Amino acid sequence: MKRRYNIFYFISEALKGLKRNGVMTFASIAVLLSCLLVMSGFSLLVLNINVNLERLGTLNEIVAYCNSDADAEKISEIEGAIKSLDNVDTVVHVTKAEALKSLQEKNPELYDDVTEEENPLFDSFTISYKDNSGVNELDYQLHQIDGIYRIRNNIDLANKIESVKSGVMIVFLWFLAILFVVSIFIIINTIKLTLFSRRKEISIMRYIGATGWFITLPFIIEGIIIGVVSGLCSFFVIKFAYGYVIEQAMSFQMLELAAFGPISNYILLACVGIGVATGVIGGGISIAKYLRD
Amino acid sequence: MIEFRNVKKSYPNGTVALKGVNLHIDDGEFVFIVGHSGAGKTTLSKLLLCEERPTSGNIIIGKYDLKTIPNRKIPHYRRQLGVVFQDFRLMPNKTVYENVAFAMRVVGTPARMIKRRVPAILNTVNLGDKHSSFPDEISGGEQQRVALARALANNPSVIIADEPTGNIDPKMSVEIMNLLVKINKLGKTVIVVTHEQSLVDYYKQRVIRIRDGLIVEDTKAEVNLNEKKI
Repeated sequence: MKRRYNIFYFISEALKGLKRNGVMTFASIAVLLSCLLVMSGFSLLVLNINVNLERLGTLNEIVAYCNSDADAEKISEIEGAIKSLDNVDTVVHVTKAEALKSLQEKNPELYDDVTEEENPLFDSFTISYKDNSGVNELDYQLHQIDGIYRIRNNIDLANKIESVKSGVMIVFLWFLAILFVVSIFIIINTIKLTLFSRRKEISIMRYIGATGWFITLPFIIEGIIIGVVSGLCSFFVIKFAYGYVIEQAMSFQMLELAAFGPISNYILLACVGIGVATGVIGGGISIAKYLRD
Repeated sequence: MIEFRNVKKSYPNGTVALKGVNLHIDDGEFVFIVGHSGAGKTTLSKLLLCEERPTSGNIIIGKYDLKTIPNRKIPHYRRQLGVVFQDFRLMPNKTVYENVAFAMRVVGTPARMIKRRVPAILNTVNLGDKHSSFPDEISGGEQQRVALARALANNPSVIIADEPTGNIDPKMSVEIMNLLVKINKLGKTVIVVTHEQSLVDYYKQRVIRIRDGLIVEDTKAEVNLNEKKI
């Protein structure tokens, strides 16, 4: 007789198990969801730090932003004052219209419907200097020019961001490892409770002649379901939250946030992948230990 | 064929449950294993079910040596057995039909064959009309019959009944024993572990008596096995 095993039987057993221990299932999904949200959040933070570092370009550049109410004459005056400084090499004027156009090209889904009248950005000057040692003095001189709202000094910012980035990466990796381990433990405990509530059934299955994998597979599938649900939920939450953050950050020209579209597939893959891996490992460890004992 | 060759069993706490058991059971035999509490009956059952391994000696059942059998082969060995327990051990959230069908599903029996065999097996144990009942909706005797039906589901060569009448009334006990007799007449080896001397005395089959971990008596069957009138 050819033996046949129906995968739908195992899936239905897994769903029954999840439903039977509804509270613990919910708790597992909630914890894993939280862990994935933190992981995704940190990942996006690190990504944006890198994006902004790249945006800074070469270190021998300073960007000076004009006051929002500066007219064409004032802007021209400011440009002249900048060019007159000793350590200045080149000065490039970026109008606020050009700045908006640049943002619209990089993040069309967010900025396409911003009109010129609504443009919140400022006119700016990208200044390259000749001598690194004189950058602090140049920075001081630029601050003295009337009409300049803010100055972005790349060296300090780059150094700060670099050290923040290293710190964030270390914290991120530790968090990732700890959250991954915590998630696995939560899932192990969920599956343990399921095993305990079904211990009689499992012992009967063993007496009848069920193999280890026949007993194990529904619990692995339970772990996978928990992982997939947590992964998908975390993806949509982070997508919504990140979109909101991008909207709020739009008025800050100093920061450019990476668009979500190009990286969404990676985030989705990571959330679901890590969720499933956690579920499978947690489920597998629980049942393997139970069967061994 | 079941053979115990100088089987000894000691537990980690120092208890010596079996001190050198030798026995041979041919295919198709009906055997009672009797003894007082602590004599070693339960250990002998556990060894037969491969819940425990012998400390020394060999246990040969068919083509399996239970001392050396790899763990991954144990489920396949257990499919050669049909086991009936004192406490029935039915799945409470499955119907009578599903409890029997489950035993067949576990070994990968095609659905078509399950649909055909389960009603026939339930009719064998006179439970054809209870197929949609749950265990808590039927009597103890009926639950034990369901357990017997499940034990028969995969057409095993050996039926091991561990105190099958322990939790049911005398009238039902006779019904269960008669069913075991019926099963034995179909050619299956039946081993009944029991302390009920009245059953042993009536059915007059081979009796293996265990005391203090040793077989002290091994009597042959005195009469042809007949079902007892209720």
